[in-house]
Amino acid sequence: MKFVVSSSVLLKQLSAINGVVSTNPIVPILENFLLTLDGNSLTVTASDLQTVMITEIEVESSEKGAIAIPAKLLLDTLRGLPEQPITLQVNGETFGTEIISDNGRYKLSGENPIDFPKTPAVNRGQSVEFSSSALGSAIANTLFATSTDDLRPAMTGVFVQMGTENATFVATDGHRLVRYRRTDIKSDVDTSMIIQRKALNLLKSCLPSEDLLVKAEFTSSNAFFSFGNIRMICRLIDERFPDYENAIPTNNQNTLTISRMEILSSLRRISIYSNRTTHQVRLKMSLNDLVISAEDLDYSNEANERLMCEYNGEDLEIGFNAKFLIEVLGNLSSKTITFELSAPNRAGLIIPVDQEENEDILMLVMPVMLNTYV
Amino acid sequence: MSAPLRKIIHIDMDAFYASVEQRDFPEYRGKPLAVGGSPTGRGVVATASYEARKFGVRSAMSSRKAIQLCPDIIFVYPRFEVYKAVSNKIREIFSRYTDLIEPLSLDEAYLDVTEDKLNIGSAMEIAGQIKNAIRSELNLTASAGVSINKFVAKIASDINKPDGLTFIGPSKIESFMSSLPVEKFHGVGKVTADKMKGMGIFTGADLKKLSEEELVKRFGKTGYFYYQIVRGLDDRLVQTHRETKSLGAEDTFTYDLTTPEEMHKELDRIGEIVFNRLQKKQLQGRTVTLKVKFSDFTQITRNQSFNSAVTDIDAIIDTAKSLLDKVEMNEKPVRLLGISLSNFHEPEIPSRKPKYPGQLELFT
Repeated sequence: MKFVVSSSVLLKQLSAINGVVSTNPIVPILENFLLTLDGNSLTVTASDLQTVMITEIEVESSEKGAIAIPAKLLLDTLRGLPEQPITLQVNGETFGTEIISDNGRYKLSGENPIDFPKTPAVNRGQSVEFSSSALGSAIANTLFATSTDDLRPAMTGVFVQMGTENATFVATDGHRLVRYRRTDIKSDVDTSMIIQRKALNLLKSCLPSEDLLVKAEFTSSNAFFSFGNIRMICRLIDERFPDYENAIPTNNQNTLTISRMEILSSLRRISIYSNRTTHQVRLKMSLNDLVISAEDLDYSNEANERLMCEYNGEDLEIGFNAKFLIEVLGNLSSKTITFELSAPNRAGLIIPVDQEENEDILMLVMPVMLNTYV
Repeated sequence: MSAPLRKIIHIDMDAFYASVEQRDFPEYRGKPLAVGGSPTGRGVVATASYEARKFGVRSAMSSRKAIQLCPDIIFVYPRFEVYKAVSNKIREIFSRYTDLIEPLSLDEAYLDVTEDKLNIGSAMEIAGQIKNAIRSELNLTASAGVSINKFVAKIASDINKPDGLTFIGPSKIESFMSSLPVEKFHGVGKVTADKMKGMGIFTGADLKKLSEEELVKRFGKTGYFYYQIVRGLDDRLVQTHRETKSLGAEDTFTYDLTTPEEMHKELDRIGEIVFNRLQKKQLQGRTVTLKVKFSDFTQITRNQSFNSAVTDIDAIIDTAKSLLDKVEMNEKPVRLLGISLSNFHEPEIPSRKPKYPGQLELFT
C-alpha cells in the first residue's frame, strides 16, 4: 500500500493519540501505531489494552491495506522533517516500510497488522452528547483528587453518575473528595461508571481548545468518546465506588467565609513550618477570627498567622494536612470560599461562593487528629 | 583505622509481667507470684516475681512444678494487652534518647546511643536517666547494661539484676569474657553448654583456646560467632526493623493427646491460627515446621521446604500432618503441638502503612 500525506498533519494527529502508547507495553505490538488505509481515509490506532485511541486523517491514495509501525520511530522522523508532503510505502509481504520525503528515504520494519489487538465495538450503549468544554472542566476539577493506590482500584478513577437532571463526577483518595455536578450534561437514563484516571488524563490533553460537540456512549464495560476526528474507547473500572454521599456531613453549624487566595497563600507559608511527615496545620476559629499555625518539634520550627474572615459558629480547633488543603484550594477558582465544619474529627467541606453557571462544586477534606503536646 | 566505638545499651525490665501485676494489685506485693497458665491444668510460668524466684521458680517451668517448689505461690493469668501498653510507654521513653531502638520483646531492647540526641554526654548517664524515667513514670524497675556492642551490653544488663546498671568498657571486655561461664553466652542453650562441658569447655577462657577452624568444625556456623564474641567482637547493628524470620502458633493441651485423630484435629485448629497470622502480616513462607513436645517434655521439630511459598491453608495443615505421621511416637503422649512457617518470600502485596500519621479516613 502507498499514500501521500502532509508531514505536519500526520504528526499532529499522531501526537494527539500517542499518549496511549506505553514505553514498555505488556504486548510488544502495542509499541506500534496501527495504520489502516481505505482509499483516501487513513485510520491510526494506538492502544494499551485498557484504552484505545483512534484518529482519522485524509490522505492521497486509492489503495487499501494495513500495517503496524513503531510509534516512536515514526514520530521522531516526522518531528525532524520540515513541513512537506511525504509518501509512505508499505510492502504487504515483508511489512517493510519506506518513508519518502524531499530530504531522502527512511526504511523501517513494520509488523503484521493482524497481531494488533482488536478494538472493542460499541454495541447499543447509552449515548449522551455534551460540549467539550463541559467535559474538560469536569475532568480538570476532579482528576487531581483520584487515588494512585492500586490496592483501592475503585478510587483510581472518577465516578460518573449520569442522570436526567445533571451529571455528577466524584473523585476521592479516601482523605479528600470532590463532587462536581453539571446541569448541562444529562442522559435519558440513569447510568453510572468509574473511568480510569489515565484515560481521563489522555482525554483532557487531546480535547480541542475550541468548543466542540463530544459524543459519548457507555456500555457496562467501556466508555466511548468521539469528537472531531478522534475517538477514544476506555475500559471502565469494574469496582464498587465507595458510598460517598453518606461521607459528606450535612449538619455543619460552623461556617467560615474567607478569600481563597488569602488562606491559600497563608497555608503555603505556614506549611513550611509544619512537620515534614504529617504536614499538619491547625486552624483555630472564633467569632470572625482565624488563626493558622504549625509546628515541627524536631526542628523547633513554629509559625502562626491571623487572618481576616467571617466566622459563625462555636470556637473550634481543627487539624488538616496542609498539602490536601492547598491542593483543594488551588484547584478552585472562586474568589471567596466557605468552609463548613462540624467537629474536629469530621470532614470539612469547602464550597466556592461564586459558582459558574451550570456548575456545582463541593470539595471535602478529612482532618488530622491534633496531638496535644505537653 | 577502626571505626569509632559504638555505645550500646541493653535494657531488660525486671520480672516484667510479674512486676506489672504487683504494681497494679498491691495485694500481690512482697508475695511470690507467677504470671502464666493455670496451676490446676497444664500451664507454664511466663514470669515469676523475685519472691517466687527465691524458691527456684523460673520462666517456662510448668505451673505444677512451680506450685511444688513454692506452695504459697499466687497464680495470675497474663494480661497481655496491659503489658503491651506498658511496653509502648517504655519504648516512648527510649525514643526520647535515641531513634535507634531494637525491641527484642515486650520487656527488652537494644539502644544505640552513639549519637547523643539530647547531648547528655555519657551512655551511662543516659542509661541512668532511662531507668529513672521508667521508675518515676511507670513505677517499674529495669536493669541496664552498657558497652560497645550488643552482646556485651546484654550480658552486662544481667549482672546486677534487679535494678542494675553495669558498664563493661572496652579494656575490660576480654578479661570479663574469659571468666564467663559458657552457658551465659548468648546462643548457648542447655544442650550446647552440656556439649561444651563434655569437651572440657567451662568458661570463656576455655572457649578462647580453640581455633576458629575448630569451633566451626564442632558447632557449625555458630562456631564462627563464638570465636568472635569470646574476643568481645560483635559488629551486629542495632536494627530498628527486625525482619520476621518465622511465624507460627503452638498450643499446650489440657490433656495429653494419644491418637493421630486427636492430633490431626488440633493441627487443623493450629494451622488456621498460623494462616490467619501470616495473612495479617502478609507473609508467605516456603518452609513448614512442626513442633511436638511429649509428656516427658522432650521435644522434636520436623520441617519440610518447598520450591515456592505455601500460601494455601490446606497445604500448610496437610504438610504438618504428613510431618507428624512420620514422627516416631514410641507411644509417648503428646503435650504440645506447634506449626510455624519460615523462609519468607517478599510479600506480593505491599504493606499498607499509613502515609500520614493521624490523618482520618473518609471511608472506614
